[in-house]
Amino acid sequence: MARFITRRLLWSVLLLVIVSAVVFLIFYIFPTADPAQLRAGRQANADQIEAIRESLGLDKSIPEQFWIYMKGIVTEFDLGRSYQSNAEVRDVIFSDLGPTALLVAGAVVVWLTIAIPTGVISAVRRRSLLDRVTMITTLAFISAPVFWLGLVALYLFASDVGVIHIFPGIGSYQSADSFTGRIGALLLPWLVLAAATAAIYARYVRAQMIDVMEEDYIRTARAKGLAERPVILRHALRSAITPIVTLLGLDVAVLLAGNAILTETVFNIPGLGAETFNAIKRSDLPMIQGITLFGAFFIVTFNLIVDIAYAYLDPRVRYQ
Amino acid sequence: MTFIQQNGSTMRFKPRWLAALGVIVALALTMSACGEGDEGSDDGGTTSESEFPAPTSAPEGAQEGGELTVIAASDVDYIDPGAQYYQFSYMVSSATQSSLVGWAPDDVEQPTPLLAESAPEVSEDGLTITYTIRDDVMYSPPVDRAVVAADVEYAIERSLLPGVPNGYTQTYLADVDGIEDAVKEAQDNPTGGAPDISGITATDDTTLEIRLTDTSSIGVIGALSLPVSAPVPEEYAEAFDAENPSTYGENQAFTGPYMIENDAEGALTGYTPNKEIHLIRNPNWEASEADFRPAYLDEVTFQEGFSDTVSASKKVLDGSAQVNGDFTTPPTAIKQAATEGEEGQLTLTPSGGMRYVSLNTQLPPFDDINVRKAVVANANRVDLRNTRGGELTGPVMSHILPPEFPGFEEAGGLEGPDLDYLANPEGDPELAADYMREAGFESGQCEGPDCEITMVGDDVPPGADTAEVVASQLEELGFEVDYQKVTHDVMYTKFCSVPDNAPEVCPNVGWLKDFNDGQSMIDVTFNGENVVPENNSNWPQLDVPEINDAIGEAKLIDDLDERNQAWGDVDTMIMEQAAFIPYIWDEQANIQSADVAGVINKFNANWDIAFTSLEQ
Repeated sequence: MARFITRRLLWSVLLLVIVSAVVFLIFYIFPTADPAQLRAGRQANADQIEAIRESLGLDKSIPEQFWIYMKGIVTEFDLGRSYQSNAEVRDVIFSDLGPTALLVAGAVVVWLTIAIPTGVISAVRRRSLLDRVTMITTLAFISAPVFWLGLVALYLFASDVGVIHIFPGIGSYQSADSFTGRIGALLLPWLVLAAATAAIYARYVRAQMIDVMEEDYIRTARAKGLAERPVILRHALRSAITPIVTLLGLDVAVLLAGNAILTETVFNIPGLGAETFNAIKRSDLPMIQGITLFGAFFIVTFNLIVDIAYAYLDPRVRYQ
Repeated sequence: MTFIQQNGSTMRFKPRWLAALGVIVALALTMSACGEGDEGSDDGGTTSESEFPAPTSAPEGAQEGGELTVIAASDVDYIDPGAQYYQFSYMVSSATQSSLVGWAPDDVEQPTPLLAESAPEVSEDGLTITYTIRDDVMYSPPVDRAVVAADVEYAIERSLLPGVPNGYTQTYLADVDGIEDAVKEAQDNPTGGAPDISGITATDDTTLEIRLTDTSSIGVIGALSLPVSAPVPEEYAEAFDAENPSTYGENQAFTGPYMIENDAEGALTGYTPNKEIHLIRNPNWEASEADFRPAYLDEVTFQEGFSDTVSASKKVLDGSAQVNGDFTTPPTAIKQAATEGEEGQLTLTPSGGMRYVSLNTQLPPFDDINVRKAVVANANRVDLRNTRGGELTGPVMSHILPPEFPGFEEAGGLEGPDLDYLANPEGDPELAADYMREAGFESGQCEGPDCEITMVGDDVPPGADTAEVVASQLEELGFEVDYQKVTHDVMYTKFCSVPDNAPEVCPNVGWLKDFNDGQSMIDVTFNGENVVPENNSNWPQLDVPEINDAIGEAKLIDDLDERNQAWGDVDTMIMEQAAFIPYIWDEQANIQSADVAGVINKFNANWDIAFTSLEQ
């Protein structure tokens, strides 16, 4: 196991270096705004721009810039400073991670709470009216873009811009001054972020359950006289949920990496997604680079966690 | 017919909903399909600014106290007053800092003394400017000492450091004695401290003397009305300025009625980039007759990150104690404010900005003035304005200097100069064909390889909509347009502002005044001597020696009336070159919650938080 983890870790480091290099190249190959000119302001002369370019290290060759960047990360865990705000990228990421983690954690709880029972019931009561209604509903949620759903939810239920004032409104996370206030501010974003994912997971759980319920060991369990509930929950669901864990690991990693961008933007939650949005708008390479690296780190880490969880959930993996 | 003319002075006798109905009709017309004209309903004249006037003073007995929230989409450009060069940033610094002179809400022509005791004195030869500094202005904690003239000298000098990316000092202070040496010194040693500008001297604690090599005092005084002249305590700031970029902004000391919340060491705890700026009262500031800011509010929070400006506007209009910050109110919110809002929730203010379509005068076919005149004559500028939101977004531009700006009337007022190709804002295809014929195109249409042109514009609306309309209007004249869509920043920094890469047409350029003087609208944008290899803002690359000379002369006039006339004349000379299609003088639509008694600062075209209060 230790060798396995070591090997995976080494691959992960290589992957992170490759990701950094790719982001660097993309920034220079595709037409992006010149950060030195943006920083210099509209009346700055060539000397001023050159001086700023020098101060940002943009006058060096691309390989040299990349080397300095990577050296900074390895030796000091220094992700550089934002071109725009001059803030330490590392500090910004850590400060943004809290809201994003809270948003993602809550949404995961919501979508699993909805998806697993819905998927199981639909599978067990296949082709019933309940199954059909559930599947049509999930299809509707899958089809609804998150930003649209977010705006509709706000216009219906937010206390500031909504018709029915139920949930705290836009920007309420920022203005909340207590943990419970922040939780309250996240209720609507959780529901919105979870809606589409819950729908996908429900359909996935249903499909897995239908497959598993036809396996020989389920028939054996029933033949041994086990009640239906333990058959479903203890034997079928445990097996059916294994691929869901893989999916969950990746989804959580991707969301933590800033992919909750639309939800965070619509609800103005100051997380990594909103930061990514700002960084892209302002051609802020260090920030884009830092968040991408951080995201890649999450994806790699969660993949590792998923592999380990697999072994726990599915005895067959352990035996292999 | 304009909105004001439609309703006239009898408006005040009509129910308010009639005014609102008028706005909806105007919006419906202006937001309609871009390709169609307005059937004579609009001559592109003045807007409904007087329907939604900008309050420039606080109400009688304005309430003290309370907290205001400013809803914003993005962050300030810089938190450091030495580098700030953006309306939204000025909204913060005008309340937290004291520049030598400042712009009171209704100042249009000249700023009001703030840190200075009185208006600056200019010597008879026009070569020396003297400011007398007040001795009762204190820095916020942890500096806690009185401001002296040397602090202003240091503030100006540090703005030359590469780590304090000031975008205007070198332009407007170019004639200050010794500035070239100081610039060189700063660039040679960017972390060696602020360079000495020999022409700026604090002769004692309250006297600041600025020596010039030419009589450009008005430009210098104008630039020093901006945050760069807010004092900076050298002994406190030098350690931060030794870094590149400087970190003084994140640790700054304040001299205005408000300060950004900080800790005992002076580090700002109330500023989180892209998220929030929290202002509290500056304990060392005392109201006095010498400071025109009443400062009613106790706290102000700038909440940033509201990317969806439609929701953000709704939040402001339906909410409590909120105003808009950096974003332009979208048409839907303007409509809501006009129809459902209470009186005063919507205000319209000329921003001192202009938008135009630049024609590259250095590339064929636009190196031929008759082709340019044809393009301008053919342009339906009302349609172009419609792509930005229509009549409520401002009058159709007919020359450079905008309404309520010095030199505006001298340049022809709203109607503009007497030029046939600008006479009809909805376009004159026949006249355009005549000019094409004069340019040698017998058919009245552009023909040949030179007529295959490239246009680089925005990739998202509303800029992309404007570009589409420009393309279709050019195609009407026979041009084949290759429209390259890029982001707004890329459009400037890689194409339109880089003469070597500049395309024939840049449809999404615009300029906002730096201060209320013709120089800040015309010099950088149309002086051929200011065409530079990068960061060029003379987008048409207009380089006409007579105009360059006239600009050079106007900059040196220190009599205000003469100066305004000179800039008005230069404006006309530039319009005679037909180097661009002018289409809008921007008006800023600002909104506030019903319980806010907001005051607009006309100079900044935004809420003045040092004058704004909450209603009782």
